[in-house]
Amino acid sequence: MLFQVRDLHVSYGNIRAVRGVSFEVDKGEIVTLIGANGAGKSTILNTIAGLQAPDSGTITYQDEPIAGIPAHKIVERGMVLVPEGRRIFGNLSVYENLRLAGFRLDEPVLKQRLSDALKRFPQLESRQHQRADTLSGGEQQMLAVGRALVTGGDMMLLDEPSMGLAPILVREIFNILKNINRDGKTILLVEQNAHQALRLADRTYVLETGVVTLSGRSADLIQNADVQKAYLGG
Amino acid sequence: MDLDTLAQQFLNALQLGSLYALVALGYTMVYGVLLLINFAHGDIFMFGAFIGVFGAFVLGLPFLPTLLLSMIITALLGITIEKVAYKPLRHASRLSAVITALGVGLLLENGMLALTGADPRRYPDNFFAASVTIGDTTLELSVRIVIIAVALILFLCLYYIVQRTKWGMAMRAISYDKFAVPLMGVSQDRIITLTFVLGAGLAAAAGILWGVAFTASLSPYMGLRVGWKAFIAAVVGGIGDIRGAALGGLLLGFVEIFVVALGSPIGISSSYRDLVGFALLLVILVVRPTGLFGVARRQKL
Ligand SMILES: Nc1ncnc2c1ncn2[C@@H]1O[C@H](COP(=O)(O)OP(=O)(O)OP(=O)(O)O)[C@@H](O)[C@H]1O
Ligand SMILES: [Mg+2]
Repeated sequence: MLFQVRDLHVSYGNIRAVRGVSFEVDKGEIVTLIGANGAGKSTILNTIAGLQAPDSGTITYQDEPIAGIPAHKIVERGMVLVPEGRRIFGNLSVYENLRLAGFRLDEPVLKQRLSDALKRFPQLESRQHQRADTLSGGEQQMLAVGRALVTGGDMMLLDEPSMGLAPILVREIFNILKNINRDGKTILLVEQNAHQALRLADRTYVLETGVVTLSGRSADLIQNADVQKAYLGG
Repeated sequence: MDLDTLAQQFLNALQLGSLYALVALGYTMVYGVLLLINFAHGDIFMFGAFIGVFGAFVLGLPFLPTLLLSMIITALLGITIEKVAYKPLRHASRLSAVITALGVGLLLENGMLALTGADPRRYPDNFFAASVTIGDTTLELSVRIVIIAVALILFLCLYYIVQRTKWGMAMRAISYDKFAVPLMGVSQDRIITLTFVLGAGLAAAAGILWGVAFTASLSPYMGLRVGWKAFIAAVVGGIGDIRGAALGGLLLGFVEIFVVALGSPIGISSSYRDLVGFALLLVILVVRPTGLFGVARRQKL
């Protein structure tokens, strides 16, 4: 198993946001965690990425425990997070955002990754010297994913990449994620947009108020009556 | 005012302004990265000037080596202050950070007083003999022009670092949204260290140049007024923006010099010049609350 979370607990003061969550992701998979507002999705991803310390539980990546390692070191292990709300640096140019994402890289690798990322997102190429906050929402999301491609690693975590985007853009982003996965990257995706996420992912976990209530192959969950009622609008 | 006097005052203003600017840069960078007003920064400037005295008198070094020595030692002081005094407070309230900064400043002032005594210091007369020899003609350079040139070169180096290197990109990125910076594989601590190195180094250079420009003015308390002025300059320019700090410093230099130059013939005492500086701050902040270059930033988390 490439990645495993066991009995994870995370809290903010006395708010217990994540209460004993376990799941796993195999190499080459796309796995999604779906859940409503406040279910604890971002808390889980931020904890994995090292932005937040867990109360207890283990997180294992490539057979090594990574819980509690600071975020910039997690990146070195080969795991990268595209955070909720994209969090691009609006005061930097598009190019600078991508360049900064390759902070640790040597020149030849950096060059290669930059050109790969721009090939994947041709819209960004012509806007390289524009300030990133002048991009549209969809372009900003592409920049956020492009940045993660430059940073690199075997596994990409994405926190609601569909947030605030028109359906056609969501499809475009999800197609790109599919391609990125085909090219070898393992993906852990967190979504409220269950329709698209279930269609994309190999396996799905359903998260409710900090607990996993259901899990299985996405193709099976799409047929599940409870899932249909709660997440697919009937 | 005849043309020659005007030119002289212009140089005076550029000199004073570029020194304010060098100090203002340190305030603005630390604020940009940490949202902390480093009220000890004026005293770091003083420390740099005194390391200059040490280099010139005790070690007998000429100008440039003294400048470098002081910039390096003062940068180390900047790192130490950040690690010992500010880092433990990174998640504490804004007020405790401000009080700590003021405390660090007092410590530096009184430490230097205990170490060197209260007599005003000055650099040796031959410390700053600026001349260039080309072939067999020797050109005497005006002290002011050299000071302005050194300040300009330092600013351009800083501008290059901030605008063109990945370290500078990380500094600017932190000032916009520090949450996402570690996700790029960047250690926030290292960027903060770099910020203090640059800010303290520039303050040290300003301290030495100040001592050269205004002889007999080195006292352990010299950083207080200059620190306040430079802080005003940083706020006027739009705190967090290095172009703003440079412009704010120059603006304040011009205002102060010309208030005295134009005011004294018509009976306005030169003691009004500090008042005018503060008035300028108020006026600009009323018209543009974020300063000349300031923009609204992403909310701190
Ligand atoms: N910084 C915080 N301080 C206090 N409570 C928080 C904080 N962040 C999240 N929470 C709480 O933790 C719980 C889980 O929040 P989280 O952001 O992980 O949910 P989410 O599933 O990502 O929701 P959304 O779909 O809205 O992004 C919520 O009850 C939330 O109110
Ligand atoms: Mg969330």
